[in-house]
Amino acid sequence: MDVIEIKNLTKNYGKSRGIIDVSFNVEEGEIFGFIGPNGAGKSTTIRTLLSLISPSSGSAKIFGKDCREFGPEIKKEIGYLPSEVFYYDKMKVIDLLNYSASFYKKDCSKRIKELAEIMDLDLKKRIDDLSFGNKKKVGIVQGLLHDPKLIILDEPTSGLDPLMQQKFFDLLREENIKGTTILFSSHILSEVQKMCSRVAIIKEGRIIKLEKMSTLKDNNYKKFKIEIDTSIDKNYFKIKGVNNLSVKDNVITFLFKGNINEIMKKISSVDIANLYIEEPDLEEIFMHYYEKEG
Amino acid sequence: MNIFLRELKAHRKSLIIWCICMVFLIAASMGKYEGLSSSGQSMSELLNDFPKSLKAIFGMGTFDIAKVSGYFAVMFLFIQLMAAVHAAMLGADIISKEERDKTSEFLFVKPVSRTSIISSKLSAALVNVVILNLVTFISSLALVGKYSKGEAVSGDITKLMIGMFIVQLIFMSVGSGIAAISKNPKTATAVSTGILLTTFILAELIDVSGKIDFLKFLTPFKYFSPDTLMYGGAFGLGFLAFSVLIIAVTFGMTYKFFSARDLRI
Amino acid sequence: MNIFIHELKSARKPTIIWICSMVAISLLFLSIYPGIYNDAETFKKTLASFPDAVKKALGLSIDNVTTLLGFYSFFFMYIMLCGAVQGMNLGLGILSKETRDKTADFLLTKPVSRKQIMTAKLMSALVSLIVTNIVFTAISFIIASAVKQASFSAKIFVMVSLTLFFIQLMLAALGIFISVAARKIRSVLPVSLATVFGFFVISMIGSILGDKAVRYITPFKYFDNAYIIKNASYETVFLVIEFIFIATAITASYIIYSRKDIHAV
Repeated sequence: MDVIEIKNLTKNYGKSRGIIDVSFNVEEGEIFGFIGPNGAGKSTTIRTLLSLISPSSGSAKIFGKDCREFGPEIKKEIGYLPSEVFYYDKMKVIDLLNYSASFYKKDCSKRIKELAEIMDLDLKKRIDDLSFGNKKKVGIVQGLLHDPKLIILDEPTSGLDPLMQQKFFDLLREENIKGTTILFSSHILSEVQKMCSRVAIIKEGRIIKLEKMSTLKDNNYKKFKIEIDTSIDKNYFKIKGVNNLSVKDNVITFLFKGNINEIMKKISSVDIANLYIEEPDLEEIFMHYYEKEG
Repeated sequence: MNIFLRELKAHRKSLIIWCICMVFLIAASMGKYEGLSSSGQSMSELLNDFPKSLKAIFGMGTFDIAKVSGYFAVMFLFIQLMAAVHAAMLGADIISKEERDKTSEFLFVKPVSRTSIISSKLSAALVNVVILNLVTFISSLALVGKYSKGEAVSGDITKLMIGMFIVQLIFMSVGSGIAAISKNPKTATAVSTGILLTTFILAELIDVSGKIDFLKFLTPFKYFSPDTLMYGGAFGLGFLAFSVLIIAVTFGMTYKFFSARDLRI
Repeated sequence: MNIFIHELKSARKPTIIWICSMVAISLLFLSIYPGIYNDAETFKKTLASFPDAVKKALGLSIDNVTTLLGFYSFFFMYIMLCGAVQGMNLGLGILSKETRDKTADFLLTKPVSRKQIMTAKLMSALVSLIVTNIVFTAISFIIASAVKQASFSAKIFVMVSLTLFFIQLMLAALGIFISVAARKIRSVLPVSLATVFGFFVISMIGSILGDKAVRYITPFKYFDNAYIIKNASYETVFLVIEFIFIATAITASYIIYSRKDIHAV
């Protein structure tokens, strides 16, 4: 079953671009990555899902229900953590969390304590005395305290130290194992790579790639790094299937997609000093998409 | 200089709106004067015998509203009120807005001292106040002159506008001082307009009561009131000195407290 | 219900401050009332030398302002000025503060509809206005009873006091409408002060000139205290206008708010 179904979603801000014709589905129980650079439209998509803004055209469904029409109902099962958290300054942490819990008509006090302990959060402090990172922790507890079925994260790790990030990711994995679906938006590729099973790449308001993480990484591309002793023609490796070719001194690097024998033949006819063939990381694939499209 | 220009630009729109409202206020009230000037003649003699407190309740002060100068003097109370509101909000706003809008981390890490930032901001506020005063002055001269029927009004208007300018300065400096002292930038405007309202109501209370004139020092609206300026003719030296003192002290406070301030992020 | 309680809590402090300041104004003016009353009595004696027609006309208008109810409704203008700012602040702030303090994301991602949020907030605003009016009227009534020189009608006293509530409702509705119609309100006070003072100055000029059309423009003139004192009732046409105005503003606000885009911080 699809937890999120987005169909041809478009949002214009006056004349300027928001998102154009965005469509993707998030299946139940998966961790779905949503990546793109700043201003690509990640937040716009997410804010539409949460019916904070209304789409110009197209529709989005969560748990099979239109997210505008059934907003309040579906939000019962959503936990949301924005990139920058702002809360009522004058409240204490515990008061804010209780206020948050009071919207969900179930007892969350045990879960609040549990989460606060994991995240090492002092419940008695006032919100405006907290540092940015600690406010973020409040945001995490606030987003998870009602055991939501869908967690939406919008660039969630900014402001957290590496240790806390690790704890946070562990927490998310635990939730995921329990069956929680997670939509994880980020511009930091390594964390998406670590967490997600599928990923959508958005650029300038459009989805340019939607793929399984494994497909994206394994099948398509190999990363070649060749060291040679003699100099060769810069364009020697410029054959079909080669991307991101760079020749620097005696080091040649490129991504290759296609028949592996062809490229091996090409390599074997050069006098090479060393050869590395690696799985490319997401970053390189990402750059590749961006360069190609741009 | 860049901060000064930035502030001028930031307040340009609101200044234009204030000026338009001011001109509209003066034009609208003078436009109504024509109807009044013919019918009010016979009443004025009788009105002179009214007790001061009753006149205040009727909203006439001690003026002969059949004469254009008297009529303008009554209107002047409201003109001055508007100008004071503008000045107080401006003074408080210009100092506190960086923190309120969370731009303080941008501005205060630039290689300029806080003192020079405040100087630029206050100069920009001063320019705004002067412009509003000049616009009021010129439109009053033009519009009142139209109905004066030969009565010499420009001298009185000039005096009133100088008085209003000092009142504007007082409220602007009080506003900025409060913004520099108050812990929460959001409350600065509220507190300064609160003070303004209190002094305005106090001024009315003094008029109505007629027995608590010694409280006049507490309300700038009474320092240069039209009745003394127009009929007595001179600025009270005591009030003048007191005004300078208030302005100096509050500006001093602005510099002192703002320089030592822990900025909120 | 939780939003309602949350709102009430955050409205508690400002409500107390507003009540205190309005009671203070009431106390100040009522405390000088006995003096005014005596002034008027003496003046009425000097009136004896005037022709009968003048005596009648003037005596009547003096009686109108120097009875306790007359005097109360005279300075009630300043109470209304404060109350109007309170109402407008409340209306303008109650929704826009979520955007301004960047807590909109928190509230609007909770399982409640915008209608429910709006209703809860409206109710809490209404409750704090009702509390303000009850406390203010009760305390003022006690003070008035203490300073009275002759007996006065409690019913009319309450009716005059109730106009404060009507004005507050109207400005709160206006405030809510402005706050949902505007994209973002950076700070509430300048907007509400400008609006309220604008209405106030218009109404003051209107009352000096006796202009009828002004009554429809400014809510301060919707309830003519002289009429209330004379007839012990409100003017139906203005009650109807007020009702239509509030209903329209609130309905429009519901519609706009439920469709409004809440932008990222």
